[in-house]
Amino acid sequence: MIQPISLQGMVRSTPVRTGDERRRALLGAKGLRKRYGERLLFDIGCMEVATHSAYVLTGINGAGKSTLLRVLGGLERAEIDSMRFEGREVNPHPYPKAMREAIVYVHQHPVMFSTSVAHNIGYGLQVRGLPKAQAAGKVEEAMAWAGVAHLGDADPARLSGGERQRVALARARVLSPKLLLLDEPTANLDGQAREQVIELIPTVVEAGGSVIIACHDRDLIGLPGVHRLKLRDGKLEVR
Amino acid sequence: MLDATLRAFTLLFTGDPDLWRIIWVSLKTSVFGLLLATPPAVLLGYMIGLHRFPGRRIAIWLAQAALSLPTVLIGLLLYLLLSRHGPMGSLQWLFSQPGIVAGQFVVALPVLLAFTLAAVQAIDPRYAETAISLGASRLQVMLRVLHEARFGVMAAVLSGFGRVISEVGCALMVGGNIEGETRTITTAIALETSKGEFAQGIALGIVLVSIALLMNGALMLLQGDAHAAKDRA
Repeated sequence: MIQPISLQGMVRSTPVRTGDERRRALLGAKGLRKRYGERLLFDIGCMEVATHSAYVLTGINGAGKSTLLRVLGGLERAEIDSMRFEGREVNPHPYPKAMREAIVYVHQHPVMFSTSVAHNIGYGLQVRGLPKAQAAGKVEEAMAWAGVAHLGDADPARLSGGERQRVALARARVLSPKLLLLDEPTANLDGQAREQVIELIPTVVEAGGSVIIACHDRDLIGLPGVHRLKLRDGKLEVR
Repeated sequence: MLDATLRAFTLLFTGDPDLWRIIWVSLKTSVFGLLLATPPAVLLGYMIGLHRFPGRRIAIWLAQAALSLPTVLIGLLLYLLLSRHGPMGSLQWLFSQPGIVAGQFVVALPVLLAFTLAAVQAIDPRYAETAISLGASRLQVMLRVLHEARFGVMAAVLSGFGRVISEVGCALMVGGNIEGETRTITTAIALETSKGEFAQGIALGIVLVSIALLMNGALMLLQGDAHAAKDRA
């Protein structure tokens, strides 16, 4: 059973500010269509994502929530008439380097590389060529943020579902992404594990990033200050 | 028979120079051929396994068909290429160790490729996607995926070794079974036994069986590790 009281209490301390004066355009797409053969999954006329913002993306199963996130994260192709990133017109194919560095997608069931938890979290920094000492500091910070500091040397294959999700969040957050795309981050989690994950979301926005969360989770949808998007019948509704 | 077997053990344990020379030539050419074939085969196996491109199914079909290509046919093709009037005749590799290495390269390639392909295809696509999303370059994604598929890739290398050390057709056609030069374990067994050299044949057979046992033992250990890793996941 969910515990809205403790959650609301927690969330109130770090609200997501809607009327944030720091908000400006981050990512915009026009004419965003995804087809599987003859079938049109969605046809989005216009989509805008601002900085310092949290969005929840809802819709029934199969509406295309994951696909939309994967398209925005550059893991799947779609037809896109025009795309703007940080005020500049960009060509969505191949996926622009600036967007690759700024946008991180996290799977609904994240996989862990078969190394250590700390190496998993530091992987993005490592491939960016960050010096080891600097990376280690950031990894430590990210582990503390996600509450997995005690798991640094652990074998990721032995983590619980909740720990795995938090490590995946830390692995993304350590890169300070401008946009974090979370695919059902609380699905299959319950109790404390679920709350711990929900607790992390507003802090991403507070740190200056934006986040789009595909979910069914009422507590995520109900987070104060969150913008609501809904995919219905192939269209994107802004609520 | 018993007498020949006893003499075979004597040859093995007294360090008979001819026998050990044959074993050395076999191991050297097999390992060299394998080392040369591994990088391109693993790269190709990875590319075919992970990427979608036109003609991919044909590539998989060819790779798997190449597995059942008789090595004697590979030997024939190489013979034609390397013979004095062949397109690669100027290399003068026919009836030499480099010729056998070239043969082992061609023999090992399809085994390594097909096994690597299967190993890469068995890896959850989310590994590559996670690496891509975290900013890895194409090369970094490849290294990440191959690391996750490492048990399968090592199994591919071991299987490739098993194939080259035990094949006879190609080494015979291209090497020519020249004593002290291109005589390998399998060509010696095939040709020297007919001359009545039973003890040497049995001794070399024991070596081959030991290698097979070692290789399969290593494979079993690897598979055990892979299963243990899966169980933990």
